[in-house]
Amino acid sequence: MRSKKTLFTVGFFVILSAVSFLIASEGSPPQASPHVAMTPELKEKYPIKAHHAKLSLRCTDCHEKQGDNPEDFKAIGDEGCLSCHKTKQYLADRLKFMDALHVNPHNSIHDGPKLYCDECHNEHKPSDNMCLSCHSNDVKIWMRKTP
Amino acid sequence: MSNKETMSRRDALKLGALSTAGLAMLSATNAMAAAPTEKDVKFDEEYDVIVIGTGFAGLAAAAKAAERGYKVLILEKMGRIGGNSVINGGGMAVPNSTWQKKYGIQDSGELFIKDCLKAGLGINHVELLETIVKRAQDALDFSIKCGAKWQDVKPAWFGGHSVARSLVTDNMSGSGVIKPMHEFVEKLPGCKIMTRTKMDDFVMSADGTSVVGVTARINYRFDPKLFSDDIENKTGEKKVYKAKKGVVLASGGFSMDKMFRKLQDPRLVEDMDATNHDGATAGALLKAFQIGAMPVHIDWIQQGPWASPDERGFGVAPLLTQQGLFKFGIAVDVRNGKRFMNEMADRKTRADAEYVILREAPKTYPVTLGTYNTFEEQIYPIIEKGLTGGVMKKFDTLDALAANYKIPADALKATVKKYNEDVKNGVEDEFKKQTLKGDSLKELKGGDPIDMKGPFYAIRLVPKPHHTMGGLQINTKAQVISGNTGKPIPGLFAAGEVTGGTHGASRLGTVAVTDCLTFGLIAGENI
Repeated sequence: MRSKKTLFTVGFFVILSAVSFLIASEGSPPQASPHVAMTPELKEKYPIKAHHAKLSLRCTDCHEKQGDNPEDFKAIGDEGCLSCHKTKQYLADRLKFMDALHVNPHNSIHDGPKLYCDECHNEHKPSDNMCLSCHSNDVKIWMRKTP
Repeated sequence: MSNKETMSRRDALKLGALSTAGLAMLSATNAMAAAPTEKDVKFDEEYDVIVIGTGFAGLAAAAKAAERGYKVLILEKMGRIGGNSVINGGGMAVPNSTWQKKYGIQDSGELFIKDCLKAGLGINHVELLETIVKRAQDALDFSIKCGAKWQDVKPAWFGGHSVARSLVTDNMSGSGVIKPMHEFVEKLPGCKIMTRTKMDDFVMSADGTSVVGVTARINYRFDPKLFSDDIENKTGEKKVYKAKKGVVLASGGFSMDKMFRKLQDPRLVEDMDATNHDGATAGALLKAFQIGAMPVHIDWIQQGPWASPDERGFGVAPLLTQQGLFKFGIAVDVRNGKRFMNEMADRKTRADAEYVILREAPKTYPVTLGTYNTFEEQIYPIIEKGLTGGVMKKFDTLDALAANYKIPADALKATVKKYNEDVKNGVEDEFKKQTLKGDSLKELKGGDPIDMKGPFYAIRLVPKPHHTMGGLQINTKAQVISGNTGKPIPGLFAAGEVTGGTHGASRLGTVAVTDCLTFGLIAGENI
């Protein structure tokens, strides 16, 4: 909950500073994180995961400083994910109970807590559990569907 | 994709006329030359050594070169470090090892080479095997220096080896070497790893004779859905890196290259699975050929006849068949319920026998079956895994088994009856299976090889590409040999599965890690 609050506070500041910047610069191109007008078409083209939708996340909460045209947005990378989700070690520790059976996806025998987030997790398309590429029949016993 | 398109693509690639984004800058006069020269490029960054690949060979080369004080750049096209090495079983054969001495095992270099030559059908490049004999212990010690932990137990005895000489990592995975070696390399000053960065081309000296750098793309995303990622994938942004001392190519094998593997062995159809990771393609190997590197044994692709189409990758079937169903059970052609091979023959013989069926009737996978008495005790836990995951199925009767796989039931029962009776009567079976005679039969529990009281366990079989024996010709200093001069290409070294010759026609189990770490170390020493 705290991170949600922080996010909103930060978001508020970003918008506030963007607005004041716009006023001050009198119509120069938009900077920082502007608002993207949400349309049903955009929602269909770039669906977001239920857990993120529940937080009312908007495009520019993640796509910071990428303008206001969703077509130009780039993947936010690990840094973007971890701006809310803390660190890879933190995420590994949260699933520590899975270490006992060596099936913690965030701290696997093969990779440790070092994989790129988007090796498995996607936001605008279904996620793809990397473990499946070798353990196709076991993963369903080990864990639920990758969020 | 039509065959015609595939052919024209291949020809284009061969001629080097296929222009990648990285070559767009070349003038038209260079259309026949695949690799740009230093006159054609502007270097973005300079290093002493550039290593392509982060498997056993690449990391060993990088660690050694960086330890010698060189500034090293390591490029990895995948997001993940370690390629096949990180999903490998973690076994390393070391002849005359400190382990063998500690546990009282008598071994010799000559015996190791003899074993490799037997499996390799005598076409191995012996000087490379001799180099392994001389340096494998050093490679093992270097891995330990980098933080790898090997089980302090008696070495394991793997198939084809005359003595127990294989060490296994503490976590029974190649990651037991890769993870600490990755951390070791990251901590070394002057050593930089870039993932999702794909090498596109070698950059040659102005006179075209030496390798002086590479072009690459950063922010590259490998796409397993493409027919040929090497050709079709245009992601990433171009960079050019200078390598003052040279480049070590450690890009691995090509068991997952749908185009190139089928060219070498047309039985490897495009949608065929392999035991390898998705990124095991031939792109970097072909780039080395384009600058004149000599090819060796390219079409010797080792396939595991013990794999199953009912799971992806390596899976659990190889254990349940090799240490289970194959021993006293049988494998049958589902069309007629008859045996078609010696289930205990070498990998190549069995894979070839399975292919005869699959070529006549695609996807009509043969089925191996047996009863409890064929499983070795150490794999009992895996039986549960196989059944839960659905790779292995259990039936109360042969009729139920036959119905499930659409095998003519009467024919199957006749096959099993004759198989059991022959053993009882001391008659050698038609395929001369070695486990059905002599001392081996003393291990047989319950009398008959297939105990008719059941239950019956079954797994469908398919050969899966496992290791590409062929690759670049290297000398004992890991220098790549040019087909134009017969001499080393200045500035180009290679190690691991991308090289050819060491294993001949077929590699013995657990010698891959030895090969990769040994020649990786040697490349790092000599560059």
